[in-house]
Amino acid sequence: MIEVKELRKSFKSLEAVKGSSFTVEEGEIFGFLGPNGAGKSTTINILSTMLKLTSGEVKINGYDVTKEKNKVRESIGIIFQENTLDEKLTAKENLMLHCKLYRVPKKSRKARIDEVLAIVDLTDNLNQTVEKFSGGMKRRLEIARGLLHYPKVLFLDEPSVGLDPQTRAHIWEYILKLKEKENMTMFLTTHYLDEAEISDRIAIMDHGEIIALDTPKRLKAQLGGDVIELQTTDNQAALEEINEKFSVIEATLHEEGITLKVKNSDEFVSTFMKQLETPVTGLDIRKPTLNDVFLSMTGREIRD
Amino acid sequence: MEGMIAIWQRDVMKFFKDRARLFGSMTMPILLLIVFGVGMGGSMESLMQNVAGGDLDFNYVAFIFPGIVSMTLLMTSVFSSLSIIQDRDFGYMREILVSPVSRVSIALGKMLGSATVAVMQGLLLFLLMPVLGVTIDLVSFFVLLPVMFLLACAFASLGLLIASVISSTQAFQLVVNAIVMPMIFLSGALFPLNNMPAWIDVLVTLNPVTYGVDLMKHIMIDVDQLSREVYVEMGLDLDFFGIPVTPLGEVLFIIGFTAVLIVLATLSFSRANR
Ligand SMILES: Nc1ncnc2c1ncn2[C@@H]1O[C@H](COP(=O)(O)OP(=O)(O)OP(=O)(O)O)[C@@H](O)[C@H]1O
Ligand SMILES: [Mg+2]
Repeated sequence: MIEVKELRKSFKSLEAVKGSSFTVEEGEIFGFLGPNGAGKSTTINILSTMLKLTSGEVKINGYDVTKEKNKVRESIGIIFQENTLDEKLTAKENLMLHCKLYRVPKKSRKARIDEVLAIVDLTDNLNQTVEKFSGGMKRRLEIARGLLHYPKVLFLDEPSVGLDPQTRAHIWEYILKLKEKENMTMFLTTHYLDEAEISDRIAIMDHGEIIALDTPKRLKAQLGGDVIELQTTDNQAALEEINEKFSVIEATLHEEGITLKVKNSDEFVSTFMKQLETPVTGLDIRKPTLNDVFLSMTGREIRD
Repeated sequence: MEGMIAIWQRDVMKFFKDRARLFGSMTMPILLLIVFGVGMGGSMESLMQNVAGGDLDFNYVAFIFPGIVSMTLLMTSVFSSLSIIQDRDFGYMREILVSPVSRVSIALGKMLGSATVAVMQGLLLFLLMPVLGVTIDLVSFFVLLPVMFLLACAFASLGLLIASVISSTQAFQLVVNAIVMPMIFLSGALFPLNNMPAWIDVLVTLNPVTYGVDLMKHIMIDVDQLSREVYVEMGLDLDFFGIPVTPLGEVLFIIGFTAVLIVLATLSFSRANR
């Protein structure tokens, strides 16, 4: 559904995307995870014909994004990172305009508008001017609008920024249902880890490069073990002691304490607690997250 | 097609939601009607009495009125194109540009939106006719409407092109003033342009507003009843580098002007991403 080969994009001297290649299958949810400025929006804007690529080849639904722009536009829907609603108009007017721009069949317009508004829980605000909406309501309306024409490929650029966790979960539930029903392909960028986990596959992006691409499960499995967050009275001393006495996959010191990666956390902890001399003030064992994957590859957190 | 209509409707719809704009833009034409019509009217009328050599039923305001209406069409349609810059600033332009609506339809939809708003503003001035002692018969009025709309489309496409290459509201206003004001003064809208230096004559001849104003005057004023001297003195005998101007020629000139600008605006939209 999406084919990207050696995609590059430069803004003057800055190289925002440095030759990424990937393909997304029909019906797949593909996630782009990366810190601010990684090049996620730039990639999405190129894929949706809104930005000219510097070099490389991109095909959406079999159409070339530079040569067959209109065919591509007919195949896609996009929820931009920035607000693109007309705030002087009402919710209904915004949605109706979208139906017309995307040639949603006249007969189904009303039903679809009601459907998407119900998904984002804005049914009662149908005739309210968008200006009077809260930030979260605007974002929800924007999501609703993107779903309105059942695109073949839906791009979502940080869709749930500014939404509370409950609303996020609720909306995702419906998006996924709609995706199943219409067999949509979805391409989403995010720096919310739990949101990225929805994806079938994830590309982790940093400084314009894809540094890892796999299913969330396998990415985490690559780390080869569990994560232990440790706080002690003297973290520096504890780190030295750990490196001396124990076999760990990785131990990194950071502001809040030490992050340890170990093969088998149960086994490790029982001996560890007996043998470590630096007093422990806090210990937390957890399964690895995508943030740990990013951390181990770049030495930085996704959100720093 | 439906996309174009949707873009058109949106601008008209937004015009009705913005009452301040409606009345704000009426003060200038009314002021000009007073200054040029009533203020200059007396001296122009006695001048024409001399030209015609005798008593003459001559109302200068009737000459100025079509000019002021054209000017209103020009100002409103060009300034309505500011909506493109606002759409860009508020992000809505991206929603339009990423849609499968063809770039020509986007340009035409925007043009039609501005033109419709301008015609409505222009028609508002007709409410002043009884006060000014100007009249128009029903047939002329229905001939006038499509002419006004054509003119408004021409001016809107000018605004469209300017807005598509300029990114800030301030710059837009400066450029518009630098282009629109000379177009008004060099069109015969406010006063007849006789015995001008040759280079000004060239500008007047190339100015599409000249023909718009002339068309409107010929429709609204009972020209047959004017003596030849007054007809010439009021600048109603235009020529295009020596060729006498006909109404059809004027209409074609305006259509040509519009078409060229729409093509240029479309090209500019094809490159745009915001
Ligand atoms: N129009 C532009 N002109 C110049 N530089 C740009 C432009 N758009 C983006 N950039 C630069 O390209 C890089 C990638 O930006 P991009 O918006 O793709 O990041 P992102 O991954 O979406 O980040 P975020 O999480 O903040 O949305 C950044 O360094 C940014 O400054
Ligand atoms: Mg972004």
